[in-house]
Amino acid sequence: MGSAVDTLVFSLLNGTVYGLLLFMVSAGLTLVFGMMGVLNFAHASFYMLGAYFAYTLQGLVGFGPAVVAATLLSGAVGVVVERCFLRRVHHYGHAHELLLTFGLSFIIAEAIKLFFGNHPVDYRIPPALDVAAFTLGRQQYPAYRVLMAAVALAMFGVLWLLLTRTRIGIVVRAAIHKPRMAQALGHNVQLVFMGVFGVGAALAGLAGAIAGAFYTTNPNMALEVGVMAFVVVVVGGLGSLGGAMLASLLIGIVTSLAVGVDRSLADLLAVVGAGAWAEGIGGLLTLKLSSLAATLPFALMLLILLVRPSGLMGEKA
Amino acid sequence: MRTTLSLVAAGVALLAALPALLPAGLLIASIQMLIAALFASAYGMLSGRAGMLSFGHAAYFGIGAFATVHAMNALGGTGLLPTPLMPLVGAAAGLAVGIVAGWFATQRSGTSFAMITLAIAELLHALAPQLKGLFGGESGLSTMRAPAWGLGFGSTVQVYYLTLAWVLLCLGLLYFHSRTPAGRLMLALRENGHRLRFLGYDVHGLGVSAFAISAMFSGVAGALQALGNEAANYAVFDAGVSAGVVLNSTIGGVGSFLGPALGAALMTFFGYAASDATQSWLLYQGVLFVLVMMFAPAGLAGLVAAGARLVERRGWRTAASVALLAAGATVLLGAGGVFIVEMLQRLCSQDYRALAQAAAELPAVRLLERPWSPTALSTWMLPAGLLACGTVLAVVARRRVGSAT
Repeated sequence: MGSAVDTLVFSLLNGTVYGLLLFMVSAGLTLVFGMMGVLNFAHASFYMLGAYFAYTLQGLVGFGPAVVAATLLSGAVGVVVERCFLRRVHHYGHAHELLLTFGLSFIIAEAIKLFFGNHPVDYRIPPALDVAAFTLGRQQYPAYRVLMAAVALAMFGVLWLLLTRTRIGIVVRAAIHKPRMAQALGHNVQLVFMGVFGVGAALAGLAGAIAGAFYTTNPNMALEVGVMAFVVVVVGGLGSLGGAMLASLLIGIVTSLAVGVDRSLADLLAVVGAGAWAEGIGGLLTLKLSSLAATLPFALMLLILLVRPSGLMGEKA
Repeated sequence: MRTTLSLVAAGVALLAALPALLPAGLLIASIQMLIAALFASAYGMLSGRAGMLSFGHAAYFGIGAFATVHAMNALGGTGLLPTPLMPLVGAAAGLAVGIVAGWFATQRSGTSFAMITLAIAELLHALAPQLKGLFGGESGLSTMRAPAWGLGFGSTVQVYYLTLAWVLLCLGLLYFHSRTPAGRLMLALRENGHRLRFLGYDVHGLGVSAFAISAMFSGVAGALQALGNEAANYAVFDAGVSAGVVLNSTIGGVGSFLGPALGAALMTFFGYAASDATQSWLLYQGVLFVLVMMFAPAGLAGLVAAGARLVERRGWRTAASVALLAAGATVLLGAGGVFIVEMLQRLCSQDYRALAQAAAELPAVRLLERPWSPTALSTWMLPAGLLACGTVLAVVARRRVGSAT
């Protein structure tokens, strides 16, 4: 019995950490979306760039400085993307911008394949950090996961304080809410856009630099995390930071718990005596929940769109 | 009107004569081009006319393909649905799934719509390998084209004509749809959904119909692919397939009816021709797409239209000189860019890295049947010179156009 509880606690912890990681990626995405009305397809590419930058620099300057440099470099790429690409096609409308970021994400992924090859690279956490944080039952919990969670929580706190308690935050929120009015009041809205875009990209790069060492660093990581981040943004409510946090945790925990459940719908139906019938039907009904874990976030997103189209904490529909 | 009709007739005649003109390998590529053109047209109808960007159209393509494989295996090409009518199964499956998915997706518009379509496609992609009975797991399903109507469907030529007939029929239907009042309403939906609602139209219903029709024709394209390959694998649900149709249609230009088909046919052909020569074809495709988005938002079809306008305003002579300059600039810039990418690709390859580790100084790279030293200045001066000359030509061409308008 004790081991079952341990497993449950571990699943919950892992899910929370994964959720916090998702939050790090989707925070920038949801802020940029709220501000410019543009879903940035290339956002997850900054996450991937962060991981590859850190991987490349790790051998030269060590892990810690590499993470910092990767964060800054990803932010710089983000600024370039906003300044040289997005701003130039802004007058064609949102659909055009969306397609452009889509093309950029495609190019970044292909460029990564060009430079690093179409396979995972050997990016690992440094041995000094590869220790156990605490022991639960008979299993050890890696300190690096705790570190990832701490970074994400610190990021959430800083962003929250910055947006709600400082003058810069007020200007940013004004630029998000009513860009024209903010401009009329003499604020450089273009600069704010560029800054928020760059910060969002830097945060995604930080997430990539940290998470890439723990999970795998490969050319598909942008797509995998990117799609999940879109789901988070929709479920949480477009443009809502708190919603992104809530949705990230929800999706992280649900996915993590589902992996550990070895039951299918047929087992559930067996409780009401329809088990044999479900076995006969096969297909979806006999699939184990653990093998459906990857599809659960999408199902959740469709459910949210049906029940509450504006997302968990979104304001507008 | 008469010139358009005669152009279309000439195009159809050329397509019909292709099997006599092309070797077998290129004929297979032509089948792929036709299928890609139909898929892109179906996509262009939704994204261009109705203004709904779908990033998950692989789902309906794949559903059409799998439904056809199942129908071919179940019916064996006999009875009411002989082999040539099999794409009807793909159409029905695409339509049915399109209605359900469209009902969800069109609850929202704009960006959210795009994300929902992406999520639905990813859902299918994640689910497909698990459902072995339906999608054959990792290995996929295979089938056989049964003889029907006195035809064996064993040769590539017969498959080509079957594909051609279906693609032309579907393009005709899509064109007819764009001329009907329902098709006209798609434009209104794109321009101003609110006003349409005030006028008393059922906006959600219209959106679902646009989505379902697009999914139906995507299903036909998938069915033709399954007929051609005699197999289907869950890889058709891959995000790359969805991305490909977005890139191809936009490069061709979703603003015009034939733009997406043109773009898809061209890109498929280049992909076929380039896949042996380079490993970086997808990178070129992406760069081309971004360049089109930045400098020619109406796509290749828009460039053709701009050329026609130039002829009208300034006569053949100016237009021809601008076209020549632009073509020269494209060739030079393209050559310079491709050279750099191919050099980098070879420099970063695993084989080369292993060589470089062993040797004292960086070994030369073989490209265009010639060794190039990566440390020599001349190696990098060549692409730089190409790019510089290309830029000069592009600027001159642009000045000419500017003085013309």
